[in-house]
Amino acid sequence: MLETINLSKSFKGKKVVQDINLYLDNGESVGLLGPNGAGKSTTISMISTLIKPTSGRITMNGVNAIAKPGEIRSVSGVVPQELALYQELSAYENLKFFGSIYKLRGKELDKAIQQALEFVGLENRKKDLVKTYSGGMKRRLNIAAALLHRPKILILDEPTVGIDPQSRNHILEAVRALNQQDGTTILYTSHYMEEVEQLCDRLYIMDHGKIIAAGTKDELLSILSTEDKIKVEVNKLDEAFVEQVKTMEGVRKLEVSELQLKIIAAKGSSLISKLVHLTEQHQIQLLNFHTETPSLEDVFLHLTGRTLRD
Amino acid sequence: MKNVLWAQFSKDKRNPLFVLLLIAGSIVATIVFGGGIQSATTVGIFSEEDNAAAIEKKWGMLLNTDDSFTFEIVDPEEARKDIKKGNIDVAVKVTEDDYRLLVSKKMPTISSIEQHVDKVFKQEAQIRAVEAQVGRDVRDEMENYLADAPLQMESQGVDSEQIPTYNIRTQLLFAFTFLISMFILGFKVNNVTQDKVSGIWDRMIFSPMKKTSMYSGYLLYSFLITMLQIIVVLIVFKYVLHYDVGDNLWLIILIAACFVFGMISIAMLITGFVRTPEQFYAIYPSVIPLIPLISGAYMMPGTITNPVLLFIADLFPLAHAMDAIMSVVFYGAALQDVTMSLLYMLLIGIVAMGVGINLVERRSR
Repeated sequence: MLETINLSKSFKGKKVVQDINLYLDNGESVGLLGPNGAGKSTTISMISTLIKPTSGRITMNGVNAIAKPGEIRSVSGVVPQELALYQELSAYENLKFFGSIYKLRGKELDKAIQQALEFVGLENRKKDLVKTYSGGMKRRLNIAAALLHRPKILILDEPTVGIDPQSRNHILEAVRALNQQDGTTILYTSHYMEEVEQLCDRLYIMDHGKIIAAGTKDELLSILSTEDKIKVEVNKLDEAFVEQVKTMEGVRKLEVSELQLKIIAAKGSSLISKLVHLTEQHQIQLLNFHTETPSLEDVFLHLTGRTLRD
Repeated sequence: MKNVLWAQFSKDKRNPLFVLLLIAGSIVATIVFGGGIQSATTVGIFSEEDNAAAIEKKWGMLLNTDDSFTFEIVDPEEARKDIKKGNIDVAVKVTEDDYRLLVSKKMPTISSIEQHVDKVFKQEAQIRAVEAQVGRDVRDEMENYLADAPLQMESQGVDSEQIPTYNIRTQLLFAFTFLISMFILGFKVNNVTQDKVSGIWDRMIFSPMKKTSMYSGYLLYSFLITMLQIIVVLIVFKYVLHYDVGDNLWLIILIAACFVFGMISIAMLITGFVRTPEQFYAIYPSVIPLIPLISGAYMMPGTITNPVLLFIADLFPLAHAMDAIMSVVFYGAALQDVTMSLLYMLLIGIVAMGVGINLVERRSR
């Protein structure tokens, strides 16, 4: 359906996005994951034809969408990261304006506004001015404004930034319903791993303007299939103990925080018995330990050497 | 385009205070700086010579010959104190055959007061010179002679018997109305940058709406709201405060429309150089007050003679608008007489609009 081939963008000679290859199939929910500054928003802006790429191609059903931006624009809705709303107008007035620019008129427009407001749960506050809304309500209205013309593809650029958990859940549920019930294709960018894990069938992980990994959740997790993640809690820590853990056979990565050790080790390296032995030697009491299945956060850490929120 | 117009209007309808305050501001500014509701400006005169009373009486009589000014004898100490405190703008210290203006601040009316005082003193000096030569009082003789002089000049309007009379207050009315209108239209044009930053502009680009409709919506709204301000102010002054704004109100509105178009284009040009609405708010209000000064809008025609300033003034629509309006109001000029001024304003508008929109589009890429 939608495909980008070697998509790149430079600003003042500096490459901010390099050789992005991604595709979206009809009805899919695809996540674009990366830390702040990874190039997600620039990629989204190019895909939504708002800025022109420096090089590369975007095709929509095989048609060059850079030369014919209408191919993407006519079937897509974009939820920008900014709150693109008139704060001085009510929710209804905002939606009336955004609906009218899509040439919706009369009863058709009223119906579209009503449906969009119900979808984001704001029908009871439709006459209130947007400036009186909470951050979460504004974010929901920001999504509603992109749904009025019933787009086949919905592109969301970090739609849950800076809102309360209740509004976040509402937004995630709404996006899921759009994808699963209405068959809307979703391209969702975020730096919250759990959101993308929850919503998306496939993921692209971006860092420093490049896609560093792509695939389904299971495919990405298989990157760490040769590793175990062990969490250990102790009553005290000393430097010699930490040093010895670090040099133990099979330990690939060690993170220490207060009285907790997070160890990523090669699978089958029998680390637990060695750890028990070592704590006894150092007269350290082992309070708790458990082995965890690696998460996408661990995959990101493995690929980039840092966490998503670094 | 209608959608953008509606959205902009709805915003102002919710918060009309800004536009109403500016309309009121242009009325108040004209009344305050123009010296009241067509009443004569009172100017204090005093003397500190030995025979102060006689000197004050003599010059008081001679100076009180113009309906625009009333010269009143005041106490020298009081006058100095009032000037220092800024309670009065000007006072005239007179001697036997000379004068000095004491000015607290450079107000637009001061140059016309100075012109009148200077004229009276020069005339008096000429009479004295003649009397010194002939050795007798010639004042009555001269006045009788001039009343029936062999060579007489009759002033007449171009199209009427009426003699055109220049009035600084009428000029100031238009100067202040246009000054305030430049602020209104600028702040409305800045909505383009505001909506770009907020992402609303991108939403519109993503829709089937054409860019020409988007720009037209913003610019037309700016034009209409500014014309509303100008027309309201003109109606208030003409029909409520009874200012002389000429008989051809439609032609004045046409000139104002060309001026507003030209200035909207200048505002668009400035928009092309800024990235955020805040930058516009910093630059635009700093530049705008200079335009009437350079264009001589607060001064009597012909006060600015510097060719560089005149050239700069010609680059802005205000100088052409003031020229055209003064011609219509004071000399009864018709449409064909002000066509050149209208064309200059339209030309400035087209060039500035073209460059401005081009710059705005380049920034978006």
